[in-house]
Amino acid sequence: MPSWSEFEPFIVSGLALGGVYALSGVGLVVLYRATGVLYLAFGAVGAMGAFIAWAMIQGSVPGWAAWLVCVLFGGLLTLIYGMIFGPPLARRDPLVRAVATLGLTLVLFGAMDLLWPPTGGAVRSISLPTDNGGFTVLGLNVTWTQLIGLGAGVVLTAGTAAFLRFTKLGTAMRAMANDREITATLGVPVRRVEAAAWFGCGILAGIAGLLLADLVQLDATTLTFLVISSLAAALIARLRSIAVTFAAAIVIGLVHDLLTPITALTNYRDMTPFVLAAIALLWVSRHRTVMTRSREEA
Amino acid sequence: MTVETKGGAAATAAAQRLRLLRRPQRPAHLAVVVVFAAFALFALPPLMSLYYTGYMTLVAIYSIVTLGLGLLVGRTGLYSLGQGAVLQIGAWTGARLLFATSQPFPVVVIEAGLVTMGIGTVIGLPALRLRGLYLALITLMLAGAVTVALATVNFPNGGGGFTGYNGTSVHIPPIRRPSIAGTDPAYYRYAVVVALLMFALVYAHLRTRPGRAWAAIRQSEPAALAAGINTTFYKLWAWSLASFITGVAGAMLAGQARYLYSINFSTQDSIILLAVALMGGVYNLWGAVIGALLMQLLPAILQNLGVSYAWLTILFGLGVLQVLTTAPAGIADQFPKDARRLGGLLTRLARARRPGPPRPPAAPPGTPPQAPSRGEAT
Amino acid sequence: MNRHEHWRSRLAGAAVAALTVGGVLAGCSSSSSSSSSAAGPAASSPAAAPSAGSSTGASTVSTSQCGTKPGVAATGTPINLGGIVTDQPGTSFTDIANMAQAYFACVNANGGINGHPIKYYIEKEQTNASQIASEAKQLVQTDHVVGIVGNTSIIECSVDHSYWESLGYYIIDSGIAPECWSTPNSAAVNMGPRYSSDGAVQYALSQHVSKVVFDQSNVPGTTYIAAGPNALAAAAHVPITDMTTNVPISDANSVAISLVDAAGKNGAVVLNFTPPDALVILQAAQKLNIEGNVKLWGCSTPCNTDFLAKSLGPKWNGKLFVNAELTPPDPTNTPTMNLYRAILAQYGSAVSGGIGSFSQMGFVEARLMVQALESVKGAYTVASVNAAIKALKDVKTGMLCQQWTYGSYSMHIPNNEDYTVTPDNGKMVIAPGGGCTQISSVDPQIAAYRAQAGTAPADPTST
Repeated sequence: MPSWSEFEPFIVSGLALGGVYALSGVGLVVLYRATGVLYLAFGAVGAMGAFIAWAMIQGSVPGWAAWLVCVLFGGLLTLIYGMIFGPPLARRDPLVRAVATLGLTLVLFGAMDLLWPPTGGAVRSISLPTDNGGFTVLGLNVTWTQLIGLGAGVVLTAGTAAFLRFTKLGTAMRAMANDREITATLGVPVRRVEAAAWFGCGILAGIAGLLLADLVQLDATTLTFLVISSLAAALIARLRSIAVTFAAAIVIGLVHDLLTPITALTNYRDMTPFVLAAIALLWVSRHRTVMTRSREEA
Repeated sequence: MTVETKGGAAATAAAQRLRLLRRPQRPAHLAVVVVFAAFALFALPPLMSLYYTGYMTLVAIYSIVTLGLGLLVGRTGLYSLGQGAVLQIGAWTGARLLFATSQPFPVVVIEAGLVTMGIGTVIGLPALRLRGLYLALITLMLAGAVTVALATVNFPNGGGGFTGYNGTSVHIPPIRRPSIAGTDPAYYRYAVVVALLMFALVYAHLRTRPGRAWAAIRQSEPAALAAGINTTFYKLWAWSLASFITGVAGAMLAGQARYLYSINFSTQDSIILLAVALMGGVYNLWGAVIGALLMQLLPAILQNLGVSYAWLTILFGLGVLQVLTTAPAGIADQFPKDARRLGGLLTRLARARRPGPPRPPAAPPGTPPQAPSRGEAT
Repeated sequence: MNRHEHWRSRLAGAAVAALTVGGVLAGCSSSSSSSSSAAGPAASSPAAAPSAGSSTGASTVSTSQCGTKPGVAATGTPINLGGIVTDQPGTSFTDIANMAQAYFACVNANGGINGHPIKYYIEKEQTNASQIASEAKQLVQTDHVVGIVGNTSIIECSVDHSYWESLGYYIIDSGIAPECWSTPNSAAVNMGPRYSSDGAVQYALSQHVSKVVFDQSNVPGTTYIAAGPNALAAAAHVPITDMTTNVPISDANSVAISLVDAAGKNGAVVLNFTPPDALVILQAAQKLNIEGNVKLWGCSTPCNTDFLAKSLGPKWNGKLFVNAELTPPDPTNTPTMNLYRAILAQYGSAVSGGIGSFSQMGFVEARLMVQALESVKGAYTVASVNAAIKALKDVKTGMLCQQWTYGSYSMHIPNNEDYTVTPDNGKMVIAPGGGCTQISSVDPQIAAYRAQAGTAPADPTST
C-alpha cells in the first residue's frame, strides 16, 4: 500500500477527471429532465462539433469563430434531431427514445471516421487559451481549462436547477418531459418549448464537446463513448437530481484516480464508473422495482 | 418495459405486436425453414469462396447472438445493451476450455453456454428488478466493466494458470476446432447445425408454456401478474436462455476466429448488436438471421466493393432510427410485404403488357424493396 | 394510422437521408476515398500532405525514374499482389498500402515490370482474426496474387503466418505482432514495437539515466515487448519499471503523474503508444507542468511524426527522444528521398498522412517488391516471385540505416539499426548522438537473429 503522500497528487487529477464526468453527466440529466429523452448522442454531437472547430482552425479561421461554430453546430444538430424524431417518438417509452439517440450516435461516429480518418499517424488536438497558465496545487499545475470544466459543472448544476424551477419556460419543460399531451392541453406551446429545450441542450453538448476535446483527447471513439462512463454518474442520481449527478461524478473521478498508485488495481480502475453505477442501482433496487420516471408515476 | 396506459395508439400498437408475434406459427413456414436449412447446409458451401465461407460462418454464429437479443427485446421487452459482453464471456470460457482440456468440442460448447448462463443468471437476478431504460443502461455498464476487465486479464492464448494467457509468447497457437470440422467449409456446416439447434431450442420455448408467459408479460406485466404468471421467474428464464445460447455462440466464435484478442471486442459492439437486431426484426425468428447478415455479410460485401466500414456504421445508425420511427418489426416483417407488393406490381405490369403495347417505358421493378416503408400501418 | 402520423414518418425517413448528406458536407477536411485501382496517375493533391513540411527538390525530381521505360505505360498481363492493413476507428495503417499503391502506379506508368503492370489488392481489416483469415484466402483464391507486400496489421502475422508458410509466400511487411519477427516467412522493413522500444530505452540509457519507466498501451503482447527493454536495462544495471495503460486513455493526468513519480528526478519515461495516445500523455504532463520532473522522455517510433512535434511545442525540444526506424525525411536530400516525395506528390493522393514514417515504409516495401519482380526470369508465379523475394540480399533502400536482406532464416529482423530524433520547432530532427545506432544484442531476439544473419552493412545511399 503506497503512503499517503503518494496519493495526494491524484486528488488533484481526480477532481479534474470528476469535472470531466460531471460536464457530460450533468448535461445528460438536464436534457433528460427538460425533454424526457436520455440523449446518448451527447458525446458524439460534442465530438463532431470539436472536430469541425479543429478543421476550421487548421484552415486558419480564428479560434473564437471556430468555437462558436462548434457550439452552434451542437445546438442546431440537436434541434434538428429533436424536431424530426421528437414527435414520432413522443408517445414511446423513454427506453425507445434513448435507443433512437444511439442511432444518431452511430451516424455521427461513422461520419467522423469518414471525414477525419486516423491515417498516417495523424494526431489532432484542440488547445484553448486557458491551457496556458493556471495555479499550482501540491506541485501540480492546474490549468484554467480544468477549473472551467469543474466550474462549468457547478454553474450548470445551479443554473439549470434554478432555470427549471423558477422560470416559466423551465416549468413548461419539466411538465412537458413528464407528460406532453397534458402539457399541451394546458395551453403550453409544446413545439416551441421543445425546440428551446433541444437547442439549449445541444448548446450544452457543443460546449462540453469543446472542453472535453481539450481536457481528454480529440478522438472520435473516446469522446463518443465517454458518454457511457459519464452516464454512470447520471445513473447514480437516477437521472433526476442534477446535484447528485455532480457529486457522483466527482466521487467517481476521485475513486478512479486514487486507485492509480495501487499496483494490483491500477489497470482495473477504468471499471470504476461502471462498478459504482451498478452497485448504486442494485442497492436502490434491492427492495423495490426501479423504473423510468414516466407515465406510471405521472 | 413500462406499461402503456394511453388509449388509441398504445392499443393499436399492442394489437399489431400480437399479430406480429403470432406470425411464425403458420405451418407453411416449416417447409420454408427446411428448404432454407438444406440450402445453407448443402447448396451454399460449394458455391462460396473461402472468403465468404468465413463470413457466412460468422453469420451463423452471430445469428445465435441476435436470436438471444431478439428473444429478450421482442418477446419479453428487456432491452440489453450488454450482449457483446455476454458473447465475450462465452468466447473466453470456450477458448479457455479448448486450450486447457481435450474434451470433445460439443461438450466444450455446451459447457461454455452453461458457464455463461450461470454468470448471466447471477447478474440477471438483481438486475431484472430494474425496468426499461434502467435495465438497458445497467447492462451497458456491465458491458463496459467486462470489456475493461478482459482487456487486463486477456484472452487465453495457450498459456498456463487460470487466465491461460502467456504474454511473452512469440508463436501463439491457434484455438482448436472439432476433428470433423477442421476445414473452413466443414466448420461452416458445423456452425449452421449449432445455429439450427439453438433456433429449435428457442422455438420450442416459444411454442410452450414459457413462450405464452413471455407473450403475456410483453403485453402487460400487471395483467400477467394478475393472471397468476410468475413474471420474475419467466423473465429470468428468458434472460438465462439468452445467456446460454450467446455463450454457445461465444465458444463457436472461439473456434472460428482461432485467435482471440481483447482488442477485438469493444463496448460499441453491444450497441451495434442491438442496432442490427432491431433492423432485422425482433418479433420474428428470421429477423435474427437478417440481423446477422447485416452485421457480418454486409461488411464483407462492402469491403469487396472498396466501401469504407464507416459507411456501415452510418447505415446501422440510420437503420435504428428508421426501425424505431416507422417500421418497428424490422426487415423480417417489411421484406415479405414489400416483396408481395413488388410481386403485385410485376403481375400488374405483366398483365398490362400482354395486350400488346411494346414495353412500358417506365418500368422500374428493380427499385430497392426497402423504400416504401410507410405502409406498415394496417 | 392517421395521415398526420404518416407524414411524420415520411419526414423522419427523409431527415435520415438528409442527416447523412449534411454530416458529410459539414466537414472541412477531405474525406478519404478508398479507391484501390493502381492504374492511371492520380492528380496530385496538395491537401493530401498536410504534414509535408519541406518539399525541397520534390518538384525538380522526375518520377519517371521509378520504372525501366520512362513515360511508357505498361500494358501486358498484370502481376497481382496483395496486402492486408488495419483500418478501424482510432487506428489506420492504410497509408502504408496506399503509398505502395502509389509506387506501383508510378512503375506502371513507366514501363511496369518488363511491360507487365502491377495490380495491387488492398484488404482492410478491423482487428478480427476471422476476418483476417478470410481476407488472406480471398487474396490467394479469388485475386490470384503471386506476392504479399505492405501488410500492416495489429494481429495479421499471428493469424496468417502458418497459412503463408503452407503456401510458400514470403511476406514483406511492416510488423506489429511478435510473429512478424519470429517466423521464417515474414520480413519487415520496420522494427516494430519491441525493437523500437529497445532503441528508445537504449538512447535513454546512453544519457545515463538512473531509472527507466516503460509504459505501453494495455494490448495483447505487452510482456513480449517489455522483455527487450528489460534485458537492456538489466545489462546496464539500471532499474526498470514496466507499466501498462488502458487505451483509449480517458484520464491522461493520472497516467502522467504516476509515470513521473515512478521515474524520479534522474529517471526516464519511455512510452510505447500510438501517436494520439502518446500525445495525450505528453500533453497532460505539460499541462501539469511536471514534464521537467524527469531527466528525459523517450518514445518508440509511432511518436515520430511532425503532427506530434507541432502539437507539443518548444518545451519538448531536446527533452523528448523518439526512436526512428527510417531516415528522417525533413533534413534529408538524397535522390531516394526526393523520388519518394515526388511519387507522393504525383500519385499519392490517397496517402492522407503525407510525408511520414508510414508512407516511407510503404515506399520501401514497394521498392523491395519491384526489385524482386525485376529479377524474376520467366513467368511470374507464386514460386518464382517468392523465390526472388527470398533472394533479396543487401538491398540499398535509401531509407534505412542498413542494407536490407530477406534470406532463409527462421526469423527476420532485417532492420535493427535506428536513429533517434527530437522535436525542433514543429519538426523532428536527429538528436545529438542520435545517428545510426545498432540495437544491442543484449536483447535475446536480436542476438538470435544476428547469430543467423550477421550484421548487415550500412546503407551509404540513405544519408
